[in-house]
Amino acid sequence: MVLLEASDIRLKFQSKTILDGLSFSIYAGDFVGVLGSSGSGKTSLFRILNLLQSATSGSVSYLGKDTLSYPPTQLRKRIGYVFQKPYLFGSTVEDNLTYPYQLLKRKPDFEEIANYLAKANLPEDILTKKTTEFSGGEQQRIALIRSLLIKPNILLLDEFTASLDEENTLIIEQLILDEHKKQSLSILFISHNLAQAKRLAKQIMYLDKGKITFYGSNDEYFAQKELQK
Amino acid sequence: MNDISLAMTFVLVLLAMYLSYKDKIGLEKEIIIGSIRAVVQLTAIGFVLTYVFDWDNSIVTTVILLAMVYNASTVSAKRGKGIEHIQKISFTALLAGLIATLGILLLCGAVTYQPSQVIPISGMVVGNSMIAAGLVFNHLKENFERRREEVEIKLCLGASAKESSASIIRQTIKNSMQPSIDSMKTLGIVQLPGMMTGLILAGLPPAAAIKYQIMVAFMLVGAVAVTTFMASYWAYKSFFTELEQLRQS
Repeated sequence: MVLLEASDIRLKFQSKTILDGLSFSIYAGDFVGVLGSSGSGKTSLFRILNLLQSATSGSVSYLGKDTLSYPPTQLRKRIGYVFQKPYLFGSTVEDNLTYPYQLLKRKPDFEEIANYLAKANLPEDILTKKTTEFSGGEQQRIALIRSLLIKPNILLLDEFTASLDEENTLIIEQLILDEHKKQSLSILFISHNLAQAKRLAKQIMYLDKGKITFYGSNDEYFAQKELQK
Repeated sequence: MNDISLAMTFVLVLLAMYLSYKDKIGLEKEIIIGSIRAVVQLTAIGFVLTYVFDWDNSIVTTVILLAMVYNASTVSAKRGKGIEHIQKISFTALLAGLIATLGILLLCGAVTYQPSQVIPISGMVVGNSMIAAGLVFNHLKENFERRREEVEIKLCLGASAKESSASIIRQTIKNSMQPSIDSMKTLGIVQLPGMMTGLILAGLPPAAAIKYQIMVAFMLVGAVAVTTFMASYWAYKSFFTELEQLRQS
């Protein structure tokens, strides 16, 4: 089933072309590593998919309907987005992890929160702690749980382990893999770490100067890279 | 106080200019221009008000009130430069504050719709609301810039523009109302405000003057509340597009 379909997305800022006619489809269960050098348009693409900004031209459809035809709040609950820099708001971790329930107009399910905290290797008593007390890795784990509690169908991860140590990287990767398998969550992640992309991704999308120069299976991409050596 | 005594108080302006000159603050020109403007503007308004009070026409009074609101809204709108529809928001919020408070005072019978009563009272209301509205616009601009990431993260989670701005709006209202509340708390202890001082100087017993001052204090906090709520809940929308995207600053 096609979840997301991009048709000829173009983005210009002043006279500079950021995205130059991107077209692709994301199917249910896809796990796509989005690679490319800095400035190739990866983050801009994610912002457009999440509707945080609009493309200059082209369209994106979700489940066959143009994303512009959905109420933005509804669409963003289906297509989650985790920023590169984890940002926790409010004063405590609880403020962050109960916020998704507020948005879903539901009572906080502390058992569900506890399950996620356990999976992310975080103690349950952190709920009452101040957001400023945590390391970057812990903040990223909390930010990721916050997005997962919304129960998106697609999750966009922008360099989600870029500034983390190996231990934190592996904990977060495992959490994402679990969600991908158990909840059949489709994932697109931006990474500059080829080893990580090889480890996690089923598909690779490579962007160069705003264009897709490769979109295919993980094996195919890394086989091509081997041949180029 | 006779005219000679009044003229002699100009010594205080000269003192301020001397201090500025001595310490090379560079405010001498500003002080002299400000003093001249104050004398000219107050003299002119003194003549106008004498004429308006004698005329006692409610249409003329209303036009004066609207002109007052418009001028004040232009000043506070300057604080919100770049916010869409800022002049309209500013004017409507100030007018709403004035209508709410003046309406209640008229309904309670605390004042009557006579120029000699409503014009000075409205001046106080609009002046205070103008400062509060300016603070609202300033605070919103600063916070949507500084807390951009927080707002976008909330949007990403599926929050609406209003939900993602809720903490900024609350903080804006609080910060903009705080000076009025602080001022009310210190009435009679730190300050004897203008209206009460004026009435006492004019010969009214202090016990009678405080009644007016209490009314003014309630009136100002009410007007500031209406203005800040309306300005905040209207102006925040200007920071978002129709697709609930945070506009580029």
